[in-house]
Amino acid sequence: MASLAGTTISIASRPWHSLQAAKELSSLKSISFSSIKKSFPAIRLQPASSRLQICCAAKSDTLEKVLKIVRKQLAVPEGTAVIAESKFSELGADSLDTVEIVMGLEEAFGISVEEESAQKIITVQDAADLIQELVEAKSC
Amino acid sequence: MHRLLRGDMLPLPSNLVSRHLVVSSLPSLPPAPFPLRREAHLWYIVPNELEDASLLQDYMKLLSPCEKENVLSIKGEALKKCAILSRVLVRTTLSRYTDCKVNPRLFKFRKNRFGKPEVEHQNGCLWVPPSLQFNISHTSSMIACGVTVDVPIGIDIEEKRRKPVNNILSLAHRYFSPYEVQYLASFMDPESRQSEFLRLWTLKEAYVKALGRGFSGAPFRDFTIRFENSTDSVVPERPKSEEFRIMIDTASDSVNLTANWQFALVELCGSHLAAICMEKDENMPGTEQEFLKLKVWKTLPFVEDKCMSQTDAVINISGLC
Repeated sequence: MASLAGTTISIASRPWHSLQAAKELSSLKSISFSSIKKSFPAIRLQPASSRLQICCAAKSDTLEKVLKIVRKQLAVPEGTAVIAESKFSELGADSLDTVEIVMGLEEAFGISVEEESAQKIITVQDAADLIQELVEAKSC
Repeated sequence: MHRLLRGDMLPLPSNLVSRHLVVSSLPSLPPAPFPLRREAHLWYIVPNELEDASLLQDYMKLLSPCEKENVLSIKGEALKKCAILSRVLVRTTLSRYTDCKVNPRLFKFRKNRFGKPEVEHQNGCLWVPPSLQFNISHTSSMIACGVTVDVPIGIDIEEKRRKPVNNILSLAHRYFSPYEVQYLASFMDPESRQSEFLRLWTLKEAYVKALGRGFSGAPFRDFTIRFENSTDSVVPERPKSEEFRIMIDTASDSVNLTANWQFALVELCGSHLAAICMEKDENMPGTEQEFLKLKVWKTLPFVEDKCMSQTDAVINISGLC
């Protein structure tokens, strides 16, 4: 379920919907995706990136930096868009891609990401949100 | 060839499958004998060798509704194909070990509480040996499924020429144990260092997947994989001969991380590294525990199976009998 806490949207995921599990496709991942879709029909129907950027706390430059790192790591083929809503599992990220992306994000933003937090990231937007939280926490 | 009608598979109740499947049932898969103790079986598919779009459509019919939905949400034809083949490989492989009495389409899966996929055993007429364990791994160019009986298994495959985007020592500093960092730093030649990195990576992945506790349940820095030759060198350096054993050291978290696991590392088809990790059989005496047996098949399910063990396609790097 998503909740608005201050200016942050966090989409809580069950622990096994992890970036690490991106390698192992399973029916259960799809069930969770379906339930998220049912909870947010409005978000799903509207142009993904523009609506999410209005609602979401992650500043657009954070998101852009994250997208750039992800695109570079995954070398996605021409014609495949990488956007905020893109799920890492659907972009073909395997576990080595995942740790490289996390490390790339840590170096780019000067933060440290715990393994437990990294496991909860499903979409690029989730990663941008987590970065934003960590950056803000650092500056407190 | 895959459209030939063969009556060998048990017919399915018509309310469970589409009419198409009932009318043109898939040909039978050859059954596979159970792996022996300390034996792992590895089945792999090379996606590029599947060019028949209609075969891929038939494969889709073996997937559950959720798996189909997952596949359809994937962007890009190559990734979609890999996703389909990954599920087909698991389902058909498991079917072989039921003496082909269970149609691949009928398996149900669930994840354990840490996310490791396993077969969901159902009451009723479906006969699936509860002792069967499996684990899958894929790269864009190969999909593999490892099978054992009774003991957990974890596998990981990587293209052996894969070059990480980031600097290898930076990656090692961030994720590996201090011993492993020192080991990698001892290689001056970038290609050797890259090769050793991938060996460590696949072995560590295979262990974490065998444990079944997820990446954060067994952080890479909390255990060490090392290569030991018979002189038992304590200084991390390349073993003097190519014969070495793969050892695991979990001293930094011996409560949560167990060390009774054995490893094998092989080169597949000259292009891929495959790491296999399975729990040791405590009942086997002494050094017999050190090596595991491996049987390897290349498959295009319902079309062709080829046994690749004892061929050039499977080269033992370490750990096999």
